[in-house]
Amino acid sequence: MTVLLSGRDAYKDELANLAETEGRIICLETDLGGKNHPFQKRHPERFLNLGIAELAGVDIAAGLAEAGYVPFISTFAAFAALRASESVKLSMGYMGKNVKVVAAYGGVSGGWFGTTHHALEDIAVMQSFQNIRIACPHGEEETRRVIREAAASAEPYYIRLSRNDKFDSLYRSSDSSCRELLIEDGKLTKSLSQLCLISVGEQATELCKELAKEYESITHAHACYVDSQILQTYVEPLKALSNRFLVVEEHRATGGTASYLALLMPKHQVYSHSCGDQWPTYGGSHTEVLADLGFGLEPLRRQIQTILGGTDGI
Amino acid sequence: MQNIPVYSEWEMPISEIADKAKEARKLIIDMAATPTGCHIGGSLSVIDLLVVALAKYGHDPNSSVILSKGHAAAALYASLYVYGRLSSNPAESYGKQGSLYTGHPNHKLPGIPFATGSLGHGVAYAAGWALAQKLKGTGGLGIVIGGDGELQEGLCWETAQIAQAQSLSNFVYIIDCNGGQNDGMIEDISPIRNVKERFKAFGFAVKEIDGHRHEDIFEAIAPDRDKPLAILARTIKGKGVAALEGHPDSHYAKIPANLAKRWKVSLT
Repeated sequence: MTVLLSGRDAYKDELANLAETEGRIICLETDLGGKNHPFQKRHPERFLNLGIAELAGVDIAAGLAEAGYVPFISTFAAFAALRASESVKLSMGYMGKNVKVVAAYGGVSGGWFGTTHHALEDIAVMQSFQNIRIACPHGEEETRRVIREAAASAEPYYIRLSRNDKFDSLYRSSDSSCRELLIEDGKLTKSLSQLCLISVGEQATELCKELAKEYESITHAHACYVDSQILQTYVEPLKALSNRFLVVEEHRATGGTASYLALLMPKHQVYSHSCGDQWPTYGGSHTEVLADLGFGLEPLRRQIQTILGGTDGI
Repeated sequence: MQNIPVYSEWEMPISEIADKAKEARKLIIDMAATPTGCHIGGSLSVIDLLVVALAKYGHDPNSSVILSKGHAAAALYASLYVYGRLSSNPAESYGKQGSLYTGHPNHKLPGIPFATGSLGHGVAYAAGWALAQKLKGTGGLGIVIGGDGELQEGLCWETAQIAQAQSLSNFVYIIDCNGGQNDGMIEDISPIRNVKERFKAFGFAVKEIDGHRHEDIFEAIAPDRDKPLAILARTIKGKGVAALEGHPDSHYAKIPANLAKRWKVSLT
């Protein structure tokens, strides 16, 4: 039986696989890649731990990209999106350098590590920098696909991963890109559904899978890429599903996917199930910290019922 | 008769480099005489470093010359123009609507691979370029020209740390030490003590030169065999224009055309 990998480990393994045939790939870490990194083991000459230097790391990656390499640089989301944000803005957004930032510990997946290591603002920051592809894959297979897509693309990427949780990705046909909106199986009907859940990221997708099973009248669409340009391509497929949308995203409401989709679909109702405005203050596991922020199965169920007019409306 | 030393791959004699520097200074003054004005003091201090670096390595596809103190964009445009890398005179449209000659280096222009000016970034980018050349084994250099005020940015030191850790012996960090920054003199705002010792402590080879002597600059810009290289180039803010030289207020100027004419005539 194959052991399922977390998105973070799937990234390392897939990149090491790709580097077997793609000599331009360079793997950069800023001292948070962990020991026994598979890329380091398999391609030591192209693995560089730059040390604790995220801001310089992104600019150095830009220099490598200019010289023809395809650098993947990984650190925690809070540091990639916030500490290194000016480098990301200039090198990747403005100048479009072919740099791939792989940001683990997205959202509050750092759990008890505390607020310094949480990133509930990263999508907002990244979405405001045009030209950067933002991917939030769910589970091992989708993460591997996103890594392959990033390596094959000349565009800059921000790939948001979680920590150590392991999930089976939703089924996606082998010939479809992760840039396409994924409608969970068995939920397509001829008429519009009462509500369409749009999941972004791992925890959110797991919640939506659960609730889509529970309510026949609800559709589940999974969005892997959430940058402003790709979100625009989701609009027509989404309109074919429902008039009401609830975006479930481990992020703040401000600057999140729901807020941008609301701009793109002004005649539709777009709601958000997010981590709200509170700072995560208390310890606990990933799920427990999310629960403290009002993000989880029960609050989401209640929100759905409210949107649909109570349990009678469903 | 003394042999004229040859100072570049395209065999430019040092006397010609001096001519290029003078020509570039005139262009910088012309850019100060545009409606927007320009960062003239730092442009005049750095121009000799730029014209020599570009003469020596500007045509090497494996080397990259980056101006990290991007507010001196006028100097970069001027030096690229005098070498024929830019086809239009930057002083004719500098700062105007629709012009690519923006106040900080514009990567949409030939010869400018990286937009700089937000200080420190060009240093790290050049280190990345050097790292790429090291991995490829081309022998190419990553050359960055920064400012001494810029050293107040932590990013410069973050990069220095990485450069020594990665043994980037093909990384050349030239520092235009003109002693000034936007709001005044470095010494009065945030003095930088023991710069030479600091770079040595970061594992760099260090050379100190007169940043206006072309021969010295040329000789200094060569990769160290086993260490990254820092060149502390002593320069004068506003060099070449007596009214500006060493004056903290020369950082940025917008001047009338008749004054520009006088300053150009007076250039030594």
